[in-house]
Amino acid sequence: MLESKPKIGLTWEPKLPIFTSSETKSTGSQKSEKVPANTIWKTETELVDGLFVPPNDPKKLNKLSRKQLKDTAGKNWFDMPAPTITPEIKKDFQILKLRSVMDPKRHYKKADMKSKELPKYFQASLRNVGTVIESASDFFSGRLTKKERKATLAEEILSDRTLGDYRKRKVREIEKQKNVVGVEKWKIKGKQSWKRAKHRRDG
Amino acid sequence: MRPPRGRGGGGFRGRSDGPGGRGRGGRSFGDAGRGRGRGDRGGRGPGRGRGVGRGRGGMKGGSKVMVEPHRHQGVFIAKGKEDALVTKNMVPGEAVYGEKRVSVQNEDGTKIEYRVWNPFRSKLAAAILGGVDNVWIVPGARVLYLGAASGTTVSHVSDIVGPTGVVYAVEFSHRSGRDLVNMAKKRTNIIPIIEDARHPAKYRMLVGMVDVIFSDVAQPDQARILALNASYFLKNGGHFVISIKANCIDSTVPAEAVFAQEVKKLQQDQFKPSEQVTLEPFERDHACVVGGYRVPKKQKAAA
Repeated sequence: MLESKPKIGLTWEPKLPIFTSSETKSTGSQKSEKVPANTIWKTETELVDGLFVPPNDPKKLNKLSRKQLKDTAGKNWFDMPAPTITPEIKKDFQILKLRSVMDPKRHYKKADMKSKELPKYFQASLRNVGTVIESASDFFSGRLTKKERKATLAEEILSDRTLGDYRKRKVREIEKQKNVVGVEKWKIKGKQSWKRAKHRRDG
Repeated sequence: MRPPRGRGGGGFRGRSDGPGGRGRGGRSFGDAGRGRGRGDRGGRGPGRGRGVGRGRGGMKGGSKVMVEPHRHQGVFIAKGKEDALVTKNMVPGEAVYGEKRVSVQNEDGTKIEYRVWNPFRSKLAAAILGGVDNVWIVPGARVLYLGAASGTTVSHVSDIVGPTGVVYAVEFSHRSGRDLVNMAKKRTNIIPIIEDARHPAKYRMLVGMVDVIFSDVAQPDQARILALNASYFLKNGGHFVISIKANCIDSTVPAEAVFAQEVKKLQQDQFKPSEQVTLEPFERDHACVVGGYRVPKKQKAAA
């Protein structure tokens, strides 16, 4: 049972200098070296030669090994991993969340727009996210040209030139609303605004 | 543990139902009123309206996507400029019916592949996108698939159940059965059966007890066919998924009436339908009914 489990940390073997020249003796000394470290009882905090020795207690060993297991979505999703989120991947996910504002003519299901947290399990490695492979019979309308292919998802969504103008216009509109200059900033707009109500309340 | 709920997927744009296309009569049994290959998509050619980007499956080759787990077990969503339902490819490097694939390269150079699942070609995918609560087809399940046709959906079911599950695919038509058998050569968890689903006794030696029966046999007596197969192979407390095409049963009454009538028939045969979804944007006048079989009675708590 214990042998089948993955070994934790470093296994330490005493570095015994081999003095003998005869082969029979050297094999004997090798045997003595191969005695696993955890058969010898040691105190918990003991560090041998500054190296970590796995705990003798099987309960603690189990706990340690469980900690070292890779986090996956479980076998119901074929052990989909929880990869480290690199800045690129983070950007990709953020753009994915915001894709509905990129194109006024394209509509998406709501899904989970509100939560800001990124999905934990997804299929990607440090460099690569998924790439669509077209079948050989796909017409040119079913595939991107070489220029249109981008390294990351965020780049691809943002790459459309025609949408750039729309985006810029929208940003300007919002900026105009938020960053008002001069007296306009302090004026109370509308008759029944929140500011007006506050004004009335405060006297 | 579970991925966030939410239906996701929806990258597939609707299809204009042009002349021809669907519902040609006089098809062989089990063919489920489906053409082979692209002919299925009815009304191609001029007059398809908005001309841009109506390629199959939505996503274009070369685009980047994020693959995330779907709410249903064994199913994934590829999110990108458009979303798509995908399943993990059991046979990496091969598409079954010319569908698009998504490949992700790991650090060590190995590749993991997913296949795009088109809801316009598969009623199960349409049901999943339609928001069905539970399809019961999960990794490791044993599934009896009636009306396998040329095996497009079957290949995705085999992806979902994975190497530990089994799919028994029954199809009567030899022509589409040939494709099915060719596909099953590469996927070891599919057992193709070229027989009439009306006579389960003929293939009783091939099929073991199953957890789920999926029936897509667009026949007037499909409830009876399902009941017959369930009595042979479905375990007690197992589940069924049946797709009902209203036109195939009775084209004179409204679709809802046909569905209700079919559900009543199912209830008489020890089935317990639990939910029904229409496959509306993807198929016309279709419904998908899901439920249990010989459900054990609930024990009264602390009698």
